[in-house]
Amino acid sequence: MAMSERRDCEGYRTWERGRTFDDEASCSVSRRGVLIVTAIGALGWLGRRSALAQLAVAGGPREGNAFVMLFLRGGADGLNLVAPYGEDAYYRERPSLAIAPPRDGRTATANRLLDLDGFFGLHPSMGAILPLYEAGTLAVLHAVGSGDRSRSHFEAMAAMERGLYRNPHSLPSGWMARFLEATPARSNSPLRAVAMGATTPDIVRGASHATTIPSLDRYRISSPLKDLSSDAFVEALGRLYANGPDEVGQAGAETLHVLKALNRLDPAAYRPEGGADYPPTDVGQAMRQVAMLLKADVGVETAFVDKDGWDTHVAQGATEGWMTGLSSELALTLRAFVDDLGPARMQRVNVVVMTEFGRRLRENQGLGTDHGRGSFAFVLGGGVRGGRVIADWPGLEPTQLEEPGDLRVTTDYREVLAEVLETRMGLADPSSVFPGVGRARRGLIG
Amino acid sequence: MDIDHTTGLKRRDLLTIGLAAAGVSALSGCNQAIDRVVGVRPPNEPTPAVRGPDRRLFDRIAFGATAPEQSRLAALGRDGYVEEQLRADREEPWVLRAKLNRLDVVRLDGYELGDLPEPRILEQLQQSALLRAVYSPNQLRERMVDLWTNHFSIYVPKARGKFLKGRDDLEVIRTHALGSFPDLVKASARSPAMLGYLDNQVNRKGVPNENYARELMELHTLGVDGGYTQRDVMEVARCFTGWTYEQAPPLVQIATGKTPVARGHFRFDPNVHDDGPKVVLGQRIPAKGGMADGERVLDILTSHPSCARFVARKIGRYFLGEAAAQVEDEAARAYRRTGGDIKAVLRPVLSSDAILDGPPIVKRPFDLVVSSLRALYADTDGRAVGGHLREMGQPLHEWPMPDGYPDRTAAWTGTFLARWNYALALAGDQIAGTTIEWEGLEQAWPGGPAAVWEQITGTPAPAWLRGHDTRQAVAMALSAPEYQWR
Repeated sequence: MAMSERRDCEGYRTWERGRTFDDEASCSVSRRGVLIVTAIGALGWLGRRSALAQLAVAGGPREGNAFVMLFLRGGADGLNLVAPYGEDAYYRERPSLAIAPPRDGRTATANRLLDLDGFFGLHPSMGAILPLYEAGTLAVLHAVGSGDRSRSHFEAMAAMERGLYRNPHSLPSGWMARFLEATPARSNSPLRAVAMGATTPDIVRGASHATTIPSLDRYRISSPLKDLSSDAFVEALGRLYANGPDEVGQAGAETLHVLKALNRLDPAAYRPEGGADYPPTDVGQAMRQVAMLLKADVGVETAFVDKDGWDTHVAQGATEGWMTGLSSELALTLRAFVDDLGPARMQRVNVVVMTEFGRRLRENQGLGTDHGRGSFAFVLGGGVRGGRVIADWPGLEPTQLEEPGDLRVTTDYREVLAEVLETRMGLADPSSVFPGVGRARRGLIG
Repeated sequence: MDIDHTTGLKRRDLLTIGLAAAGVSALSGCNQAIDRVVGVRPPNEPTPAVRGPDRRLFDRIAFGATAPEQSRLAALGRDGYVEEQLRADREEPWVLRAKLNRLDVVRLDGYELGDLPEPRILEQLQQSALLRAVYSPNQLRERMVDLWTNHFSIYVPKARGKFLKGRDDLEVIRTHALGSFPDLVKASARSPAMLGYLDNQVNRKGVPNENYARELMELHTLGVDGGYTQRDVMEVARCFTGWTYEQAPPLVQIATGKTPVARGHFRFDPNVHDDGPKVVLGQRIPAKGGMADGERVLDILTSHPSCARFVARKIGRYFLGEAAAQVEDEAARAYRRTGGDIKAVLRPVLSSDAILDGPPIVKRPFDLVVSSLRALYADTDGRAVGGHLREMGQPLHEWPMPDGYPDRTAAWTGTFLARWNYALALAGDQIAGTTIEWEGLEQAWPGGPAAVWEQITGTPAPAWLRGHDTRQAVAMALSAPEYQWR
């Protein structure tokens, strides 16, 4: 595998393993990394009061659990990440992309699936999370998705971020925003919901007490002006943004509030614990910052992290190549996060990994895959009854697929989220967050 | 080597002379006068602040007001000024041409850029967009370029994108920005940058790749509710099999029996084209059509009523924001009446009352940076300043998805910190390659910090600003909530 070293805009070295075509490294943080969104905009629109209106000094430890959503954008190929090696059709329809089953003696071990339950196998690049699975900290789900059949990234992501099954535009607010409204605030922290990145994601749209942060390390004002210190400038900004009734005014005010809250932290001095080794990539660093925030007790209840690049239409690669780089990074990141938080704290944290849709069973001639439907999901952390693959598996024979050849969705992603939020995050009525969500539960948490 | 035909001099010599002349005192007055007209230096005389409807007009159809443009508006009147901007025939100033000529991506094509380090190519593409938006007098065209670049968004870091986007920018976006929408789509369908980004070069007979076909309908022409089905996506993909671009060097092409085409240029490959019959949106496309299949699809799509509506809505949103619904019907009718003439769609939008008194639209980072450089008559190379765009979340051509940078307010309210740091850096002369003539500015804007605030934001300054100096006032004005809207 080729390893190429790149610099991102902060001087981190980012490693990309196994890209099969040269890909310019940008230090774009547009959709990668953790987004901490100041989505004050919707305040007036929702008629809610801003965090500022309930000014209280944020301080002291907060009890309660935390929830992290890690969203894979582009449609991650569940059929190769958690491969149904027990299905003949898997090998028939993917002559180049299918990965050898766990006990295939003709293939090197490193290129075989890691057995999960005798039917499904984990992509070999994700070995870092296998111990979590075996210890019961990680549950794997499959054939998960929404009801959106457009196979459009934007529609499917909109549906999942807004907590809808289909008709993604029937509600403008993000489900995380509704979650904040539906649960009693543990504090007035503007960081109740935190998303890392540069643009506000839909999932927190309409939220008060939500913040977007491109990167904690750079979350400060620096004034080069003679006779105007950074503090003085911040004070002036406070005056400028004191009365703004509109989205911009509110967002500016909340940004200043968060600035004060975060200035108490020293992100550069943060040392992960437990031997955690975060990949020096956008997502790795984003999760590292989420861990930092969770440990710092600044009032974070939910966090959103996203990672782009899963839209593997061409040259997806089986055990090397484009997707392998991403899956490896994902596994290393999740493992580092769990190690960093440590067993005690992980009892109070859950991470859910999802993607907007999976990919077509049959590989295309570009040795990639097109947009599909059902995909995998991960649920990790406190209370999880892991060590199993949970799926209403519909099968991959032609009559079992959804037109024109995709894994059917048999588990509504919202039921998965609802189960985690109601058992772990005190959500009394999931239908207030996911309108119309069914009552079926998978016994994920015990 | 290109020769300037009026002088017989090589362009490189002209450039050198031009730049040297800028420093020669005998000519400096003349060039400085030009620079003032172009907006690279502040005006010679005090100029009133642009406020109210005029200000809004410049914020919408241009990237903000400058004193020379304000004079032009006064001379031509609103309708006359808008018509002139629609014609987009004002001469590009030599200062802009000189700055662009320093960029290899403007002078060289495609694979000729191979010697440059790759990060530099992307950076130069970003520089050229910024420079044109700041210094071109054809501001409406620059606005349309901004719109269409996002409409036909290409993530340049993928594959060969950096070698191919330069020509896409010129031949697809800029050539057709104010022309015919069908021509724009047709040019985009043949653009190696677009085909490469959406994987059409592996869209082949037998196993079609749907990526381009889907986005062509969903994002470029009809919209997701435009009335096409999954089946249509696959049929359209079949029509575009063989639409690819040449990747092999000429000798290899000859050796394999092809008529050589320059590397990185469009090629239709009949050998991989699916020549069976197809049905697209209910219309039959007979077998053996070859390249005409794709061309037929483009005609079907661009003449579809959903396309008229989709384009009208897109243009309406860009110029009118939330008030776009008011003109959508009329703009869609104009599209249908003229077969997709972009100017015809624009006219009802630009002459609507909502453009002057409708709700404000949030400035995206590109808007903020370009308008601030114009407002301060900054002299920039567009290079280091691009780093600030990145911090604010809008490094050009790096949006990963084909839908382009979002336009919702909520998408941009999370990066105010980066905007404030940019304002401080600009005011503190901390952006390499970008200079502001502070004394000239103070002469053009007499009246201390209050005047500075008013010139930049178009609103009266807060009383407490009194104790501050020009630079501090600039930093605060650019950071103020008033300045984040257009």
